[in-house]
Amino acid sequence: MLDKLREEYLKNTIQIVVIDNDNKVVATDNSLFTLQADSDITEFHPFFYVISSLFEDDKTEQKFYCVQMEIRGKTCFYDIRSRVDRKKKQVVLFIEDLSDHYKTVHQIKQVRNESIINFNITQELNHELNVQRGFKNKFLANVSHEIRTPLNSILGFLSVLENTDIDREQLDLINIIKDSSKNLVSIVDDLLDISKIEAGKLEIKNKRFNFKKFTESLITTYRLRTQEKRLEFVADVSDNIPSFLIGDHLRINQILVNLLENSLKFTHQGKIHFRVFTPSRNMRRIPVTFEITDTGIGIPNKHLESIFESFTQVEKRGLFGGAGLGLSIVKQLTQLMDSDLEVESVENEGSTFRFTLSMGISHDQKDSKDSRFRTKKTGKNQRNGAKKYRILLGEDIEVNQLLMMKLFADEGSYSLDIAKNGEKVVQFIENYHYDLILMDLTMPVMDGIDATARIRNHPNRKIQKIPIIALTGRTSEEERQASKEVGMNAYLTKPIDPSLLFKTIDRLIHRYKNKRTELEA
Amino acid sequence: MSVSKKVVLLGHFGVGKSSLLRRFVENTFSENYTVTIGVHIMKKEVIVEGDRITLVIWDVEGTDDFTKYRPSYLMGASSFIYVFDASRPVTYSDIKYNLDHLNEKFPEVSVHIIGNKVDLVDSDELLEELRSKDIQHSYLSSAKTGENVELLFKNVAAQLLEDA
Repeated sequence: MLDKLREEYLKNTIQIVVIDNDNKVVATDNSLFTLQADSDITEFHPFFYVISSLFEDDKTEQKFYCVQMEIRGKTCFYDIRSRVDRKKKQVVLFIEDLSDHYKTVHQIKQVRNESIINFNITQELNHELNVQRGFKNKFLANVSHEIRTPLNSILGFLSVLENTDIDREQLDLINIIKDSSKNLVSIVDDLLDISKIEAGKLEIKNKRFNFKKFTESLITTYRLRTQEKRLEFVADVSDNIPSFLIGDHLRINQILVNLLENSLKFTHQGKIHFRVFTPSRNMRRIPVTFEITDTGIGIPNKHLESIFESFTQVEKRGLFGGAGLGLSIVKQLTQLMDSDLEVESVENEGSTFRFTLSMGISHDQKDSKDSRFRTKKTGKNQRNGAKKYRILLGEDIEVNQLLMMKLFADEGSYSLDIAKNGEKVVQFIENYHYDLILMDLTMPVMDGIDATARIRNHPNRKIQKIPIIALTGRTSEEERQASKEVGMNAYLTKPIDPSLLFKTIDRLIHRYKNKRTELEA
Repeated sequence: MSVSKKVVLLGHFGVGKSSLLRRFVENTFSENYTVTIGVHIMKKEVIVEGDRITLVIWDVEGTDDFTKYRPSYLMGASSFIYVFDASRPVTYSDIKYNLDHLNEKFPEVSVHIIGNKVDLVDSDELLEELRSKDIQHSYLSSAKTGENVELLFKNVAAQLLEDA
């Protein structure tokens, strides 16, 4: 009985064909498809051209898995086993129909392969996007740097010019140029920020800061700014927010200044309402919500999404100026701080921008630490009569040399020598005494970083300890870090703010003098 | 007298091997991707300068590792056509590894390298990319537009007739 069942089963699944070395059918049981005796089997299907190579192969048996054939309009899948009888010059083929099995395999592989291909395509698109974004960011960073350098000269010489003997009208003109230049500086800063954020190079630095003073200073500034525009400014800061919080106050300030400036720009009457509040008071962290509401021109509903894209402005006629980067930066900065910027707006009625930051509460709520950073005021009068400090400037660009000479000439308490590259700086300090070095980072022959490394490793201990301030147009964190690692004491970016420059010089010279006294004692 | 030669299409899955074959044999093309499992075989007679040759073309299931190909699929082959997808670099990133395997196991068999789907890419960028990776391709083709498909198989046929 079993033999009969086996015979029935095999009859429907396996066909046996005997073929000679001329591809002619010698015998066939035609279980799966019909072949005529003595016909050329290659005419039935091109697979059977393989027979000639079976005779040439060393092996007697071969197996061909999953051979696809169209039989009477139906796709079939066969496993074909061959056995060569060299004496008889014949090949026996055992053709097994496994169509049902292979159709299931086909379905599984179809899904698998499609998903892998889609993944590859997405990966490729992402790669292209990243290449384009990388190019854009590098371009923006380079252009920003190139713009920053001449801007430094413009702003610097304007400061020099306004201290000369000029009349009221000339001063007004200088102020206009100064405002425009400062505007350009802020656009360049925005470009740099956008490129840093998109390149993932902008880090949030959470530190303890005086939140109360921070908001007070902001409110004072914008009370004055709104008054100038005859607008009302209402500020509400909840009393239940602790004085000292932990967060990135520089970036929070950047967000708030951007939003407040926006409100100021687009509000022509009515008021700006600045609210800071927290719903709860926890011991370690609190959510702090910042909200700015204005009665300005508002944003049409259809533009509520696109306002956060870079280089986008709803007002297309250019009436309000700017590069359209502010809100994009704000949005991305809030996201970097694990928050999100919400906006509600009604056209011609006004807008509300809101974000909530989870901020740490400092365990030390006393103001003592702040006083530690206060520096003594060392204005011109205080230095009168005292000996002049000798400053060495390492700078290769002539216009920058000239600007620094003018700034120092106006101060009067310092004498300034100039070395045009890092190598000259090292030579100068070996031959003359200097109280401080101002070092441009990018110079020919030897750059500022290499020159600082030479100084910090100098065999003369007094030379080793000379304070060095980096002056640079580059604002990247890597540059700042590199200058710190090599032993520079401060890092000032161009355009140089004269008051910050002289404050920093005084602070470092006094610190150096104290250390020298200790050394000599 | 017409000779017949076995030609095998090799390459990753989804690079368009079956589409090249259908374009050459049936002059048809479908945007829909249908996976080939095992092997699908078609033939076409080609006439080169009056000489006839029947190309028996084995379109084998795609894989990224040619060492995994079943030896029975490749036995008796006179020519290999190595197809990659010009729009997916992953399909030509391992070309040297696979070519080394073919050269070692089948030193007598010629290999033609084809970059398919060129209709999807900027050809200048692709050529630059292939140059930078030192990939010596034979043709850039498109089964969709038919670009270089006929020429590819005719040249394979011509070379086989020359070697015969």
